[in-house]
Amino acid sequence: MKTSKFFLLTFAVFVFVLTSCSKKTEKGDCCKTGHNSTEEKTLEISDESVFLLESQWENQKNEQKKLSDYGGKVIVGAMIFTNCPSACPRIVADLKIIESTLSEDERARIQFLLISMDPERDNPAQMSRFASDHRLNRWEIIRSDKSATMEIANVLGVRVKPLKEGGFDHSNIIQLLNAQGEIVFQQQGLNVDPVATLKEIRKLLNS
Amino acid sequence: MQVLKTGIIALSLTLICVRLSGQPAVDVKGEMALIPSGIYVPMYSSENETVPVNAFYIDRVPVTNNDFRKFAEEYPEWGKENVKKLFADQGYLKHWTGNSQFDLSLAQSPVVNVSWFAAQKYCECQGKRLPTIAEWEMVAEAGLTRPDGQNEAGFNRMILDLASKPNPTILPDVGTTLQNYYGVWDMHGLVWEWIYDFNSALTTGESRGSSSPDNALFCGGGSFQAKDVNNYAAFLRFALRSSLKAKYTVPNVGFRCAKDAANP
Repeated sequence: MKTSKFFLLTFAVFVFVLTSCSKKTEKGDCCKTGHNSTEEKTLEISDESVFLLESQWENQKNEQKKLSDYGGKVIVGAMIFTNCPSACPRIVADLKIIESTLSEDERARIQFLLISMDPERDNPAQMSRFASDHRLNRWEIIRSDKSATMEIANVLGVRVKPLKEGGFDHSNIIQLLNAQGEIVFQQQGLNVDPVATLKEIRKLLNS
Repeated sequence: MQVLKTGIIALSLTLICVRLSGQPAVDVKGEMALIPSGIYVPMYSSENETVPVNAFYIDRVPVTNNDFRKFAEEYPEWGKENVKKLFADQGYLKHWTGNSQFDLSLAQSPVVNVSWFAAQKYCECQGKRLPTIAEWEMVAEAGLTRPDGQNEAGFNRMILDLASKPNPTILPDVGTTLQNYYGVWDMHGLVWEWIYDFNSALTTGESRGSSSPDNALFCGGGSFQAKDVNNYAAFLRFALRSSLKAKYTVPNVGFRCAKDAANP
């Protein structure tokens, strides 16, 4: 295994390991727990809610999370990786523009959420550093494993192409989810005038 | 190991070409073929980029309606009526008549109208996974008698012929088109197939900067950045992948599963 070449290889291996349930040794188990949401919380989860995903995540404070833990608030977020040189800081900058345009009262009712597409390198320490470097005080940055990362990317419609050098080419999408975890709006691309997104956010906050 | 160009062909549900009468169509049903390690050259890649592929197993035939019925019965949340909208659009299993019912003539046809999520979960529940682009394309490159089909007389022609046939109204059974060098059936001419990392096919405008070769995709891309401009079917597959979303269900997209050879 010449390390230099192939992320795809490692990718494939990882995928296999993860999809075959590294945590639960029994494959049947794994399947059953998959989307068998028996114990729903008080939050109502619809057929289209991202909270149907039961994957485990950890944030920059090293806390274990489920996506549904972020329910109850309007979620504004994006998939990023913290080692990326150009686009990710730009999408974070776009998000910060949205954040700063909102009033304090509005901000308090929003969860800003960054989801890592690079679970191998984005450990809590790295995510924490990124958060403080970019002064993301009330934001959460989370990562999971490769399998859950692929799943959330597909749910959010984010295309991710791992690059040989360790980075990614990816879609730049700002996601707006309602308090029930349903995707209600997506802002595609970088440096987009956020007027439409802000309008949608306020619509949600006032609904 | 000289590099093979990206695969060949495929497409649509054309009917068969070489049906050998008398030969048991699917005597290997349910089994997987072992594909030795190799090298895949992405269709769009920077100079000399290659992807090594570890040995793996792949289903010899696509997953059938009957196979998928068993899955839907065991995991009712994946039944036609029960599937969550997050995981499949409204076309999910639309050729079925109920949660696990369909016209019996379709039993051995490849299951289609399934989303990536459903395909992925199906494979997971078999202790398998979806093949990667590199794996799938490497298998698709094989001719009838050798792993590098493009060097086999008549192979490219055959694939193009397959691709140009109209879709039949009823999909033929699996194991009725071509069996390739590895003993794998139906890589060409039956259905398109989901693969694990289909969403790594990016089109222009989505990727982050001009450093990406993907910026040259498609328009014009075929003329200079592709590794094998004769590989028409591979272009079609790339186009399809880049247009799919994971919840889409398509009447001519099915799937088959793979598995790491190190974890039999």
